[in-house]
Amino acid sequence: MPVVSEAAISVSGLRKAYGENEAVRGIDFEVAAGEVFGFLGPNGAGKTTTIEILEGYRERSAGEVAVLGVDPAAPTRAWRNRVGLVLQECELDPLWTVHEAVALFARFYERPRPVEETIELVGLGAKRDARVGTLSGGQKRRADVAIGIIGDPDLIFLDEPTTGFDPTARRDAWNMIEGLKALGKTVFLTTHYMDEAQHLADRVAILRDGRIVAQGRTEELGESLGRRTVISFTLNGGLAIEDVRSAFSTPPQVSGNRIEVETAQPQADLHRLLSVAEERGAAIDDLEVRRPNLEDIFLELTREQGS
Amino acid sequence: MKDRGIVLAQARMAILVALRTPRAMIFTVLFPLILLVLFNSLFNHGGRDTATLPNDLKLSAQAYFTAGIVAYSVPLSTFTTPAVSQTPQRENGQLKRYRGTPMPPWTFIAAQITRATAQALFMTAVLLAVGAVAYGVPVPGSTFPAFVLYVILGTATCCSLGIALTAFTTTPDSASTIAPFTVVILAFFSGIWIPVDQLPQWLETIGKIFPLYHLALGLQTTLSPSAKGSGIDTQNVLVLALWAIAGARIASTRFRWEPQAARA
Repeated sequence: MPVVSEAAISVSGLRKAYGENEAVRGIDFEVAAGEVFGFLGPNGAGKTTTIEILEGYRERSAGEVAVLGVDPAAPTRAWRNRVGLVLQECELDPLWTVHEAVALFARFYERPRPVEETIELVGLGAKRDARVGTLSGGQKRRADVAIGIIGDPDLIFLDEPTTGFDPTARRDAWNMIEGLKALGKTVFLTTHYMDEAQHLADRVAILRDGRIVAQGRTEELGESLGRRTVISFTLNGGLAIEDVRSAFSTPPQVSGNRIEVETAQPQADLHRLLSVAEERGAAIDDLEVRRPNLEDIFLELTREQGS
Repeated sequence: MKDRGIVLAQARMAILVALRTPRAMIFTVLFPLILLVLFNSLFNHGGRDTATLPNDLKLSAQAYFTAGIVAYSVPLSTFTTPAVSQTPQRENGQLKRYRGTPMPPWTFIAAQITRATAQALFMTAVLLAVGAVAYGVPVPGSTFPAFVLYVILGTATCCSLGIALTAFTTTPDSASTIAPFTVVILAFFSGIWIPVDQLPQWLETIGKIFPLYHLALGLQTTLSPSAKGSGIDTQNVLVLALWAIAGARIASTRFRWEPQAARA
């Protein structure tokens, strides 16, 4: 009997070599059922190779992989029924209408979602009878997403789902992905937009040169890597740098009137700063508190690599 | 049951795509019709009014060219079309996307064959009807089953060769050049543009190697009033079947779902 694992995806010691070149050099991670997992990395880090192994498109060189309890190297029809894909490029026939395309793919699945409802869900209701070739880049991507979820899968691979979207379309896509999560679906997401990963992913892994250089819960990743919160503000008369220096647990950086402090104790520091200002009846302008964000961490971890 | 529905749904989509592609409609539907009219008109103004087949059967020039254009339209519908449509489908990732669904791979091939067969039968019916009404070509009686058999066998041969060809065409451009070019040239060797009895011996000898010659000869034989029995010629059937088997073998072992150009 195969061991039934709680994890939707479990990967250990995964390697993939193309001749001499090792694209994936031994990675381990697990994706729990029902979570949104962000898989990040610069171009050439091994993201596509890894996701294609998980999707059942590519064979691996070494390691153990289970996706919904099945080895994707031997994909079965029943397994394909439970896995939804949104690949990187748009691959629908430009001469199909949106409705025709979605209805065709619905036929392939055992228990598809309702076609019309799915088209509405991705926001293409008004484009139902438009040919795929006449859609904008963002609309084509939505059609891809519709086809990715039409089989009502338990696990969905979204490979850069919002590339080419305008800000409104991206927000809509985010809402939709959150909707999938609310339905209990597991989402494996790759993206180039760190704000997207930050917003959507419960956990992330950052890949570089075929290795995972960081992984963890999105909001804790910064702290766990020793990154600090940054407090910045402008002194606007009434207060001098000497007055506020002692409020901080770490020495502030001063450039003109602008003060920036990287701190491990943001709450205490802020409290002291605001108390000093209060006592003197002075104003603090443009106060900003920035938690370590994924973009900073990503850039730092992947910096040395030439893209 | 479910899988048959999948085949029909895909075949329907393939037909819709063909109907929405003006180039495909012009080359596979309009072009054979124009050729039929042109050849028959040319022969109303001079030219011999009877043709003699290599098997010594005689038939009217109109019947000869009508059968020849049917033979020509079969590869247009069933060899050129799969090669020209499937190569871009593979290269733009559409086939790869199919593989990521529970769709059984064979249903895709079955759908392409279904579409090709439907198109070939439709074109045959149209060409025969025009030949009969406009040029008095007799619709065969006792040899009609043989006529249909040749169309179907020709379709099988052309389909498997067309799908086999996609194993070697890495870009849509190469497919849309090689496939139609091959058919036009082979038509010269196969007694379609010029009756076989007016061909130099060496041309005919080369033609005999290829299936189009045997498809044309088979169809022309069944339209000859002096055809004996069912009109089926073992040699024609055998050559077509051998090419069908060879094509199917290449198609099944070398068929690729993933884009090829990028990894060449």
